Amino acid sequence: MVRLITHNLLACHAKGCTSNNFPLAFSNVQIEIREAEFNPEFLKNFIPKVEWNALVDTARQLGDTSLPLEQPEMLDEEFLKSLHHVLLEIHVEEGVMTCPNCKHEYPISNGIPNMLLAEHEIG
Amino acid sequence: MFFKYLIVFAQAHHEFRIPELQSVAKIHGFDISLPEGEIETDRPFMIVGLQSENHARQLAAIYEFYAQGSTYEEVHVQNRANQALWSRYKLNTSFKFFVTAFNHKLPQTQQRQVVESFSYTDFMGKIDMKNPDIVLGCFEEYVEKKGMIRDRHDDHGQFRQVYLGRWIEELGSARVLIKTFDVKKRNYFGNTSMESEVSLLMANQTLASPGKLIYDPFLGTETMAYPAAYFGAQVLGSDIDGRQMQGKGSDRAPDLILYNYTGHLLTFDITHNPWRCGGLFDAIVTDPPYGVRASAKRLGRKKDSVPKGWRCISNIEAILAHDSPYIPPTKPYELSNLAV
Repeated sequence: MVRLITHNLLACHAKGCTSNNFPLAFSNVQIEIREAEFNPEFLKNFIPKVEWNALVDTARQLGDTSLPLEQPEMLDEEFLKSLHHVLLEIHVEEGVMTCPNCKHEYPISNGIPNMLLAEHEIG
Repeated sequence: MFFKYLIVFAQAHHEFRIPELQSVAKIHGFDISLPEGEIETDRPFMIVGLQSENHARQLAAIYEFYAQGSTYEEVHVQNRANQALWSRYKLNTSFKFFVTAFNHKLPQTQQRQVVESFSYTDFMGKIDMKNPDIVLGCFEEYVEKKGMIRDRHDDHGQFRQVYLGRWIEELGSARVLIKTFDVKKRNYFGNTSMESEVSLLMANQTLASPGKLIYDPFLGTETMAYPAAYFGAQVLGSDIDGRQMQGKGSDRAPDLILYNYTGHLLTFDITHNPWRCGGLFDAIVTDPPYGVRASAKRLGRKKDSVPKGWRCISNIEAILAHDSPYIPPTKPYELSNLAV
C-alpha cells in the first residue's frame, strides 16, 4: 500500500546520501486503484506539506496526468477530487523505488515498502 | 457563562480523566472549566462548568448539577435554593429517581428513605422506571476501605460527599468502542497488543479526527493505529519488522473490514528513518518497545555474531551472497537512548 501520499514523504537515507535524494523513482510497478473515502478537510490540511513538483512528476510517471504542473491557488472541488485520487487511491503493490542520487533500491512487496538498510549502509 | 455539570467517571485509568476531558472539549470546540485548586483525580465525581447542555451531550455519564453536601441536610438546602433548575419538571414529566453509592452498597430500605426525603420537590409526573422523560441521580461517595474488615452495616450514611443531578443523554458514548476494539475479538493480534481502552484514550490525546495525519513509529500489530483511524485520521505506521504488520495470508483482512481501516505501512528502523524534512505529521502516537516480551531493536550486527570465516562486517559482499534474501541483522537497543 505505497500510496503517493507516503511516497511524497520519503527520501533516501542510506549512509552519506544527503542531497538530491528525493523523490525516489518508481520502476517495475504494479498498480492497483482502490477507492477511498473523499475527505476535503484532510486534503486542505495536507496541501501545505506536499512537495508539489515531486507529486506531479511521480503521478505522471505512473500515468496519471490529472494534476496541473503548477499548484493552483484556488482549491475547487474538481482539483481536490483529482488530488484525492492521486494521493490516496493509487496503490503501488509491487515494484522498486530507486534513489536518484545513490541508486539505492528499496523494494516494495505486498504493498509494504522495505526501507531497511543493510548493515554497511547505516550511518 | 458556565453552568454546572456533574461528571461520574468510569472507574479505570483515572490519570487520563482530566486530559481526556480536555481533548474531547478541544476536538468538539467548546470550553470546559475545571474545578479550581488541586484536583483529586482518583475521586469518581467532579463538578465542571460548561456553556451549554449541547456541549454536555458530547460527554458521557454527565448530570446537570443540582446540589452537593457532606450531609443530606446540606443537599436539601442547596437543592431548594436551586429550584429554578428543576421546577419546570414538576408538572407532566415522567421521572425516575435512583440512589447509588460509590465504595459502598446501599440496602433497598435506605435507598427508599433517601428517595422519600426528596418528596418536597413535589414532582407530579408519573414514575416510570423504563422510559422516563428525566432521570434524577443521587450519588453517595464513601471513602475507600480496601482490605479492611468491617461489618455489613458499618458506615451507613457516613459518606464523604453526596451529589444530586439530572442525567443528560449523551449523543453517543465512546465506551462501547472498548468492546468493539477488544483485542480478544480480533482475528489477528500479538502478545503485546495494547489493550483497547488505553489505545482509545491515547488516540483521543492525539486529537485524532478527520483531516489529521498521525504516525506510529512502532506499529507492531497496529493496535494504536486502529482507534486513531476510526476517529477519522489518516494513519501512517512503520516497524522494523514488517511481518507483524502484514500478518499471515488473509489473517488481518476481517479486522481491517471491521474497523474500516486503511493504514499506510512501511518497514524501517526508526533510528534510521527515511522521512524527508518538514513538519509532516499532526501527531505521533505509539506504544514503544520495552521490557522483555518486546524489546527494542535497531539495525546493526552484534559484535560477537559475525559468523566464523568472515573477518569483519566490511566483507559485505560475502555476507550478502551468504544470506539470500538478505535480512539485515538487528541488535538490542536501550529505549532510553531513543527518548528525548
